[in-house]
Formats: sequence, structure tokens, C-alpha cells
Amino acid sequence: MLRLPTFRYLQPRSLREALAMKADAGPDGMFVAGGTDLYPNMKRRHQEPRVVISLMGIEELRRLDGWNVGTCVTLSALSSLPTFQRSQSAVAGAAQLVSTPLLRNMGTLGGNLCLDTRCNYYNQSYEWRKSIDFCMKKDGAICWVAPSSPRCWAVSSSDVAPVMVAIGAEYRLVGPQGERLVPAGRFYHNDGINYLTKQPDEILVDVRLPAPNGWDAVYHKLRRRGSFDFPVLGVAAWIQWNGKKVGEARIVLGGVASYPQEVAAAGAALEGAPLSDEAIAAAADAAYQPSKPMDNTDFDLSWRKQMTRVYVKRALEELRARH
Amino acid sequence: MCPAPVTAVGRSVPRREGADKVTGRARYTDDITVQGAWSGRTIRSTIARGAIRSITLDPAFDWSRVVVVTADDIPGDNVVQLIREDQPVLAPRGGEIKHKEEPILLLAASDRATLEEAATHVRIEYELANPVFEIGSATEVFSTVEITKGDVASVERTADLVVEREFRVGLQEQLYIEPQGAIALPEADGAFRVVGSLQCPYYVHRALKRALKLTDQQAIVVQAETGGGFGGKEEYPSIVAVHAALLARKAGRPVRLIYDRHEDLAATTKRHPGVIRHRTGVKKDGTLVFQDIEIVLDGGAYCTLTPVVLSRAAIHAAGAYSCPNVRIRARAVATNTPPNGAFRGFGAPQSLFAAELMVEHVAEQLGGGVSSVDLRRKWMLRLGDTTATGQVLTESVGSELVLDAALKAATTFQPSNIPTVRRGRGLSLVFHGSGFTGSGEKKLSGTIAMEALADGTFRILTASTEIGQGTKTIFCQLAADALGVPLERVTIAPQDTSLVPDSGPTVASRTAMIVGRLVQEAAAEIKQRLQRERPPLRVDKSYIQPDSIHWDEATYRGDAYPVYAWACTIADVDVDTTTGEVRVTDLVTAVDCGKALHPVMAEGQIEGGCLQAVGWATIEEIKMKDGGYQNDRLATYLIPTALDAPRIRTVLIENPYSRGPFGAKGIGELPMDGPAPAVIAAIHDATGVWLDEVPATPEKVLAALNGAQRREAAQS
Ligand SMILES: Cc1cc2nc3c(=O)[nH]c(=O)nc-3n(C[C@H](O)[C@H](O)[C@H](O)COP(=O)(O)OP(=O)(O)OC[C@H]3O[C@@H](n4cnc5c(N)ncnc54)[C@H](O)[C@@H]3O)c2cc1C
Ligand code: SF4
Repeated sequence: MLRLPTFRYLQPRSLREALAMKADAGPDGMFVAGGTDLYPNMKRRHQEPRVVISLMGIEELRRLDGWNVGTCVTLSALSSLPTFQRSQSAVAGAAQLVSTPLLRNMGTLGGNLCLDTRCNYYNQSYEWRKSIDFCMKKDGAICWVAPSSPRCWAVSSSDVAPVMVAIGAEYRLVGPQGERLVPAGRFYHNDGINYLTKQPDEILVDVRLPAPNGWDAVYHKLRRRGSFDFPVLGVAAWIQWNGKKVGEARIVLGGVASYPQEVAAAGAALEGAPLSDEAIAAAADAAYQPSKPMDNTDFDLSWRKQMTRVYVKRALEELRARH
Repeated sequence: MCPAPVTAVGRSVPRREGADKVTGRARYTDDITVQGAWSGRTIRSTIARGAIRSITLDPAFDWSRVVVVTADDIPGDNVVQLIREDQPVLAPRGGEIKHKEEPILLLAASDRATLEEAATHVRIEYELANPVFEIGSATEVFSTVEITKGDVASVERTADLVVEREFRVGLQEQLYIEPQGAIALPEADGAFRVVGSLQCPYYVHRALKRALKLTDQQAIVVQAETGGGFGGKEEYPSIVAVHAALLARKAGRPVRLIYDRHEDLAATTKRHPGVIRHRTGVKKDGTLVFQDIEIVLDGGAYCTLTPVVLSRAAIHAAGAYSCPNVRIRARAVATNTPPNGAFRGFGAPQSLFAAELMVEHVAEQLGGGVSSVDLRRKWMLRLGDTTATGQVLTESVGSELVLDAALKAATTFQPSNIPTVRRGRGLSLVFHGSGFTGSGEKKLSGTIAMEALADGTFRILTASTEIGQGTKTIFCQLAADALGVPLERVTIAPQDTSLVPDSGPTVASRTAMIVGRLVQEAAAEIKQRLQRERPPLRVDKSYIQPDSIHWDEATYRGDAYPVYAWACTIADVDVDTTTGEVRVTDLVTAVDCGKALHPVMAEGQIEGGCLQAVGWATIEEIKMKDGGYQNDRLATYLIPTALDAPRIRTVLIENPYSRGPFGAKGIGELPMDGPAPAVIAAIHDATGVWLDEVPATPEKVLAALNGAQRREAAQS
């Protein structure tokens, strides 16, 4: 059995207290919400904080105020809210597709949006990683997926993040320097190691979802089983309708790069025209081209790439069907 | 006098150990605390083939806090006692390494931190050799089996149609709920008590005696509550137990050796993968003329139980059919992959997979409106028919019963209303020999005992284990009814070799039928004696082969099994033609079990077995890399979840067997046989493509669909 290393556990009651604790702990301190990502990672020695600061006791982070969602709201809560199921169905749906009921009861929105990137060579015990020699994401220098590559290709595996990027949500961060608002699309980096633009001492406080206003979005997830598994491909599609025509559109892929990857050409292929079969095929093709999964998740990578086309098509067809 | 008891057999009474399990009171190996016990671990090879050049213990580390065991510390023979003497307990210095994860060194320490630290200070250097990973390039043969009925060569030309196909089956992990583990405790007079998660206490007993040079009394094996086995705890626990005992011996104190899931997945046995070729000849009207079958199984690096697995595979290879001319040539080869071993079905799922799909191929090629169900009716073994080994089936032949029952129970077929999804239905008809193959039961002569105690209760003494399948409950039911006493008055002694006789291993669908019958007989005898004598009383009963059973090991002719259980399975699948994903939506299975001693548990066995088979057929895929399993964690070795499980409906058919307890036959393994071929046939029904292999992963299904499309396009 893998065991947690020893650490101090702190429970601040306010944002300010949390920031002060983090400042005290320095690089040895980390925030935790539901812990469903951080604790397994600590068991495998991916992250080794000596001080773990829980955000769950901070009232402000648990608040749900219209379309502003505190980041400590659990995925279960998010997916079962009737207002969300009706008007933010892509968010509720993506939350519902995360892992298992047990993990959704513990896992939070914030943790999901800050989820560590994943790789078959990384999500292994310390000893396993040591036996083949560590990779550059933790403790080593080489990348086992692409040995000549200077960067890490670990995969963004959050189900909700692609939706946030697609619908144009904004994240409110609070840090020692104060508060800032970041568009979801600028919160992520295409780098398996530095996958967030967030500073380690910043807290993701809430997420501002766009109010329902003639737009619609869906999320489709590919995985081997009906439960448990991380996405090996996620497709979030967003359309701002302009009557029967597509005003604006965004297609964002999860599970294929180190960040939720927006394929601008796919969205552009749809704009200004009705959602015809041809337009859908063009968008699916545009999304297929840059989709470059690496051989570090479940399934054969060429099949995963092929599925991009299928899933983008499906997502758009669903949007068309319900418009 | 007490009132007439309600009979227990045939009722779904509460499980004996059920309340303890659901309330958390049950003590599995790792739950057992032992004062002063150290923890052990195994240092394994990182190469697939070569020799150990040197083992170095880093002098910078303080080894006084650690116990180190190498092959030099083995007092007895350095072999894992099983069929062949080929597998060492620990690879000796200078000795050959034959697979990845081969045990080389054992460590124990008082705390895990020291243990883990010590492990990082062991350096092993190897001389590398060229490994063999593919069945096709293997040269060493563990065993062969040849079965001949009639004369294939002389009738070959009389067939109007000859169909040839090749089938492939993949590795599968048992994935029992609880990983392997054992605790060894040194006792007085040089004895060792080993408590562990295991199926076969006396296998472990023999292995301990051999490697540690112990007498019968000095080796004591006790089964802890065990979280599943599925065959995976048939032979492997011998290794865990011997390792733990060697550490305990050197440390002079108890040592616990508990595998974590990763080690368990990486190092322990899997289902044998294989390649099976069929050539079947028929007349125009579908009459079966000959079956010519070649089986090659990959045994991995050591022999383990491979010859017995091969034997069962070969005997079941012709399927549940009666053919006048049969030739079955089977061989098991060695590769430099971790040894494969026992797994529910024991070779039969592999060969029946091919046999069942062969019926489909022949029906398809015959055309003319002959369905594969028609062919099965025409070919199937019936009362009085002769099997491939020449066994005349004299009773309890359920082939037609299960076929009719499954067809009747199947719902009307509804095509899918999603344009990209095609639905299909497939059927399979299988049989499975209950009990050991051939003269196995005779050689073993399993024994049980029963005691009538002075307080008016009765106690069953058996080495048959409870591994979730219901042994404890069923034995008590059988005894209660045979004694004519309420169920509460019957208890079962712990599975401890110092208390109970050797009833044989808990494998081969033999426990309820063979050992259960002994329980019933012993109880009947006690009942009789109690009319004249007073308790305490004890009756010992050993299996005696009936004179009517004949088996010739040399020619593979005769009564391969005392009786067969039968099953017909109908699977409905949805195939997504754009992704290749297969979802088994519905499964109906009719099973001739002789007698359902405990209907709920019988259904539980069948549903569990079917789901395990669906996993093997669809998503359970082991990817190999350099002779090791790439997906050796629960996050990557995926089995179906509740959401992936089809709706399973079971029809139990009671077609009694005269020598089974109350007519029961063994059905533990049978449900593993039928679903895989039914699923592949259903995929074909849905899409028109044949896969002929498991698992049918979406990558393979989509490639097959695309291939078929390209062929069509090329033709038009
Ligand atoms: C078996 C298993 C299956 C899973 N399957 C899926 C899946 O299918 N899809 C999926 O998306 N995820 C999956 N997950 C990952 C995880 O459970 C979820 O993403 C979950 O939402 C994480 O939330 P958490 O609150 O538990 O995160 P935590 O573990 O608490 O935190 C994760 C990371 O985010 C940081 N963090 C958390 N909250 C904040 C905040 N407010 N501000 C700043 N930093 C913060 C933490 O410091 C940490 O680095 C799975 C996990 C497991 C163990
Ligand atoms: S992508 Fe390369 S560097 Fe990144 S985690 Fe995987 S193996 Fe390591």
C-alpha cells in the first residue's frame, strides 16, 4: 500500500488567513481542496508539501451566487443543481462525467480546474518511476514519451476545464499581490510541468460563468469505461447563436495536449453560417489536424486522434439538434 | 425430540461469513495483527532473461537492522513444489533469470521505512541474454496433448466444405479483490505457521515442507478470510508463503509479506494467451465430418500448472459437439514472460472460444438458410453420444435444455435506433467438465471428516476454502439436510492443515460436487451411527473413484470428467460504427447446474463469471513491453464497472447428476466459457465483420470495420 508522507495540516477560516499560512510555509506549503488529486499524488511523491493548507473551511469559496461559483463547491453539487442542469448544462454535464460518485462528493471545482497533468510514466509510484529512471516532470531530466523533447507532454485531464475555456468563463484569483480576473483560456499553459499561469501562492476563489444569453455548449468525453476513467479525449463545443446561424463558435479539446486546446480554425469554420453537415465536417476536420495525442494515456494514439473528428462532429450535431 | 427440520438445500440461506464481511469484522491477512512481526518484501529481476552476475549489498547501509534472504538461505530444495521442478523459490546467484519480476532476494525489517530504504541499497548485476516473447518464436515446450477420435485423414476428402480459421485469445488478470499475502510465524519444534490469502492450503503445505525441509507437523497452513481467488490463489500463494517463512526463519520472528496491487499485477500469474487453429469439414447438409484443431498456449517462463491447463483446453476444444473424427493437437510453450497459471476456466475458455466461433463460421459459409443455432442442434452432444476423448455421456446432458431455455428467455431483438450504432446478437453453447481431469480425483483421493459433538452440534473438517463462492454455507446446508438437523447445528472448522484433512484444492469446479458429496456421505453415515452410538463421533470420508469411470492418461481416451455442466449464452451488443466501441447490453444465460444448492449464490457465481468473461472479451487488455506488463496498476488494468456491466439474466436448470450431492454439478468455471464467443458473434451480427480474437478493443473493431468498408468499395 502506498502511504502518505508526514505533513502538517492547516485549516484556515478566511482567505487572508490562508494566504498568510502559505506565506509562512513558503514553497513547502500547498493548498488542498477535496484532496482527490493532491493526496494520491503525494502518495506517489509527485508533490511533497510539508504543510497542507485546506481551503474547505473558507466560507467564501463555498458560495454559489448566481453564475459565480466558489471553487470549493463539490462536483456532485455542481452537477445536481437544477438551475445548472438547465442553463449551464455543459458545466453540470462535465462535472457529472468526472470519475465516480465518491470522488465527485469529495472533489471540487477548483481542484478540477487546477488538476495536475497526467502521463503513464508519471502517475506511478516513486519506486516505479525510479526503476525506469525519473522523467523531467518530477525528479528527472528526460521525457519517456518523447525522449528527444525538451518539454513535458503530460496531458491536461480535467473534464471541466475545456468547458470553461469554451464558454469563456473567468477565474477570480486572490494572492499576496491582490486580486485578478483571468479568462479561463489564459489560465493554462501548453506545458506538462508549468501547466497553470497561476502562481503557487494564488488561490482560485471563484469562477464567473457567462449568463445564458443565446449561447449553448456541450461536452463529450471519451474513456474506456462508464466510470472512474480520466478523459482520453474531451470535446467542449460552444456556439453563440445568431438566429439560425452560428455567430461565434469555440471548439476546445481536452486530453490531447498539456492544456485545454482551443482549435480556432474549427470554430472559424462554423461562423456566419447555419450548422450544416458540411460545416460540421469542416470543423471536425479542422479539429482533427492539430490534435496530437502522445502515447501516454490509455488506448492507441492513432485511434485517439481519429476520435477527435468523431467527437467534434457528435458535439456539434447535438448542439444543432437542440437549437 | 426436535421438530422436523426445514430443509436447507435449495434455499438461499444467509452466507456463513456474510455478516462478518459486510460489517468489517472479517479478518483478511493484512488485518491480522501479530506482535513483533516484521514486514517483508521481494526484490525482483528487472530483466526478462539472463543470469545474475552479482548481488551487492551496499556497505554504506546499516544491514544489521535488516534480514536478507537469498537462495543460499533455503534449507530444503530451491523449487516451488508443483508439477515440474523448474521454478526456483529464489533465483540463485549465477543462476538463470527467465522473466521480469522473478524473485531474487527477500528483505525484512521492523518497519517499512527501513525496509524501503534497504531495498534501494541492493544492487543486482546481470548478464543479459536474448529473450523470447512471442509464441511463434518459442522453442521450449512444456507439454503436449494429442486427442484422436476416428480418423481425420481418411475422411478429409469426403467433406463438401472445409472451413479454416485462426483464433487468438489474450492475457487476463484474475484481479481478486484482495492482493496476495501471507504471514509466517515460527513456532516451537522448528514449526512454521503460515496464515494467508489462499485457495489450496495443502498446496502451500507441500511447498513449505519441500523448501524449508519440514515434516508434516512442522508446516502449518491456515487460510485467513480470503478476498477472491479465481485461480490466482491456486499456485501463487505457495511462493508468497515460502518467502514469508524463509524470512521468518532467518529473522527468528513473525514476518508479514503482503503484496500491494502493483506488485501483484506485475508479478503474479495470468490467464494463458494462445493461438488456436481450426479446420472443420462438413457435408452440404451441415453434417459434421471432421474437426482438426491445433492449440498453442503461452505458458510464460515456468511450467506452473500449464500442462493441466493445456489438458483441459484440449479436452474442451471440440466444443459441446459430437463429431466422429477429431484430431486435437495441443502444446504449451515457454516464453520469457511472467508465468501464466490457473484462472477460472483453466484453458477451456480459450479453446471453447475458438470452437464456438467455428460453428458460426461454418454456418455462414454453408449458407442456404442454415443458422448457427440449427447447426448446434444438429451437432450437439446428447445423451449416449461420445465426446472427443471417447467418453460416452450417460447422464445429465443438458445441451438441449440450456439451448431451449436461453432462446426462450431472450427478449425480442430490438435494433438500435441510433444511426451510428448497430446492435447484434450472438449465441454460444458450451460444456465444462466438473472436477479434476481424468484420474485426477482418483490420485488425489480428497478427504473430509465430520464430527458429532457431545453438545449436539456437528462439525465439518475440510481443507476446501471459502473464497467468496460459498463453500462454507453450502457444506453446512448439505450436512444439515443429510443429518436431518437444523442448519444452526452444523459448523465448519477453520481451514487449518493441523486440524483438517486434505480435501484437495479448491479448484476445478470440484468443491460443491466432489467434496460436497463427501460431506453428504459423511453426514449420512453419522446419522446412521447415531442411532446406535453416542457422540462424540468422527467419520472420515475419502473420494473413491466409481468403477464406471475409466481414463487412460497415455492415450487421452476415456472419461475425462465425471460429468459436465452446460450453458447457453445469448449476448446483445451495441457496436458504435464510428468509434468501434462495443457495449454488451444484455446477457441471458441458461445453466444446467444439476441442482442449485443455493440459488442466490449459484446466480452470483454465474453473473460474476459472465462479467469476468465480458471483460476478457471487450476491455481487458494487457499491453506487453520488454516482457513485462505495461498496464500493471488498477488505474491502467481496467475491468468493467457496474456501468459497463450488461443486464444479466440467469436461468438455472436442474438436471440432476446421480453422484453429485443432491444432484449438483460444479459450475464455478462454466460461466467464464460462453460469453466471449457470444459477444464476438454478436459483433459480427451487428456489423458483418469477424474479429476472431479477444479482447475486441475499439481500435481493433474500428480497424476491422474500416477494412470491410475498403473491401466493399474496392469491389463496387
Ligand atoms: C480514480 C480517480 C479518477 C479520477 N477521474 C477524473 C476524471 O474522470 N476527470 C477529472 O477531471 N478528474 C478526475 N480525477 C481527478 C480529481 O478527482 C478531480 O479532478 C477533482 O475535481 C479534483 O478536485 P479536488 O478538490 O479533490 O482537488 P485537490 O486534490 O484538492 O487539488 C488538486 C490541485 O489543485 C489545487 N487547488 C485545489 N483547489 C484550489 C484553489 N481553490 N485554488 C488554488 N489551488 C487549488 C491543489 O493545490 C492541488 O494542486 C480523478 C481522480 C481519481 C483519484
Ligand atoms: S510527458 Fe514525458 S516528461 Fe512529461 S510526465 Fe510523461 S514522461 Fe514525464
